Amino acid sequence: MLWFKGWLETRYRMAFSLCFIGLVMVVAQIGGSKQPPPPGARPDEAIAIMIDSFVVVFFSMLAGAGINTQPAFQATKGLHGSTLFTLSLPVSRLRLLAIRSTIGWVAMALMIILLCIAMGLIAPRSASVTTPRIFEQAAALIACTTGFYYISVLLGTLLDDAWRIWGSMLAFGAFWLLQAYTPLPNSLNLIRAMGLGSPIIAHVMPWGAMAFSLGLAAVLFVAAWKIAERREF
Amino acid sequence: MMNGYIIETSQLKKSFKGQPALRGLDLQVPAGSIFGFLGRNGAGKTTTIKALMGLLRADSGTASVFGTPVTDADRSIEIRRRIGFVTEDKELYPYMTVEQMIRFTRPFFPKWRDDLERRYLDMFELPPKKKIPDLSKGMRSKLMLLLAISRGAELLILDEPTDGLDPAATEDVLRELMAIAASKGTTMFFSSHQLSEVELIADHIGIIDRGKMIVSGLLDDMKARYQRLQVVFENSVNLPAHWADGVESVRQEGRVVSILASRNIDAIIEQARSLPGTAVELYPVTLKEIFLEHVRSN
Repeated sequence: MLWFKGWLETRYRMAFSLCFIGLVMVVAQIGGSKQPPPPGARPDEAIAIMIDSFVVVFFSMLAGAGINTQPAFQATKGLHGSTLFTLSLPVSRLRLLAIRSTIGWVAMALMIILLCIAMGLIAPRSASVTTPRIFEQAAALIACTTGFYYISVLLGTLLDDAWRIWGSMLAFGAFWLLQAYTPLPNSLNLIRAMGLGSPIIAHVMPWGAMAFSLGLAAVLFVAAWKIAERREF
Repeated sequence: MMNGYIIETSQLKKSFKGQPALRGLDLQVPAGSIFGFLGRNGAGKTTTIKALMGLLRADSGTASVFGTPVTDADRSIEIRRRIGFVTEDKELYPYMTVEQMIRFTRPFFPKWRDDLERRYLDMFELPPKKKIPDLSKGMRSKLMLLLAISRGAELLILDEPTDGLDPAATEDVLRELMAIAASKGTTMFFSSHQLSEVELIADHIGIIDRGKMIVSGLLDDMKARYQRLQVVFENSVNLPAHWADGVESVRQEGRVVSILASRNIDAIIEQARSLPGTAVELYPVTLKEIFLEHVRSN
């Protein structure tokens, strides 16, 4: 039933996300035809780059919002509302954490896949924008946003509601500044891996960055798990 | 639960940002009792309930439910499976309907009582298709009671269970709670500000003030222990500076003096009668008087 609850909590965000994707498509359609492509990119790849720049911002928000409504895994005076009801159920905080973070991740992955499919539909067909490449792009984007998503999961075990929603966003901002002003290796540069280094533009999978992001996500999840475990009673 | 207490705390302490909420709470709730947990706002009632439910961790001291420490991670889930709980704010998931809320809660409790669920749905006239935010606070209280009682729990922990209910619904709920306690032997631990309600259904009372239990025991014993003397003077008179041992409080309004006594009642009557031109009458006390006396003198 926790999955059912998770779906009810997620469905409006999903609907909102679909609307957002539609908006991104319209903007990409209009903006992509007017602006010159970035250096190193072909004109038909400009749409993909433009969409990618939206993706991280959008899904960082989605991930943060997904974590925002989950029951706090903490035990504080501030616990109130339906959180009290959830935590009074015979369910461990670990299970709540696992289910809630999985639902958020699945929603995020689904949205990325839909976005990539939509991108494939509006981008002019070329040798670089093929169906397999679109799915490679989706895989790379999912892997690279996972690291940001699990920052929100970790923050969900540490901070109050108001801060959790900004977790992924602030982490993304910090990461963007870091890669903009320091010579970050490609294998650590998640922003590049979702833009110029993505499969549609670079024609290769950014395996290094994907592995780094998934590794980071694993570390963050284990940290969140340990915190929830310590609070379990 | 070797000693017959279903809930037991010893020297339970909890502070929030240096502000003590519980200052060494000792609480014993006998199995099968209806225990009214009373206290002023901010006395520590909800903090105690949250600690018992495993919703917050005490700084020190011990708390056990069903004889199991509430901090036992392995068994805390089993403890919660045996408890029906009504929260203070009566908040439920705003995106669910009444029907969905019941459907969501039911599978967590293997002893879920379908018969009670149907009974309270009808009795409380809960609209199954209505969403939680569209329910009044009274209706949300009723739904929370349904969700707590239908669990088939051995222990009901109810934080202000009748909050928001109209007098008729309050009456129904209290009657049902008494029936459940009588027929199933369910222990009830509930907090309330409605002393008349508590007096109606509770057999045990605990009064908490500033995070400490200041009085606890059988309600009948307490009421038998305390008595009120009303002393009426013919003329104005100077009251004695020192009353006999056992006088808890003395209140004067004109020629009428009201004395609350906890023991040594004969000596107090004797002392009152020794004053010139007095008529002394003895009255039973209400729970409200006992409560006010204790929290004021604390």
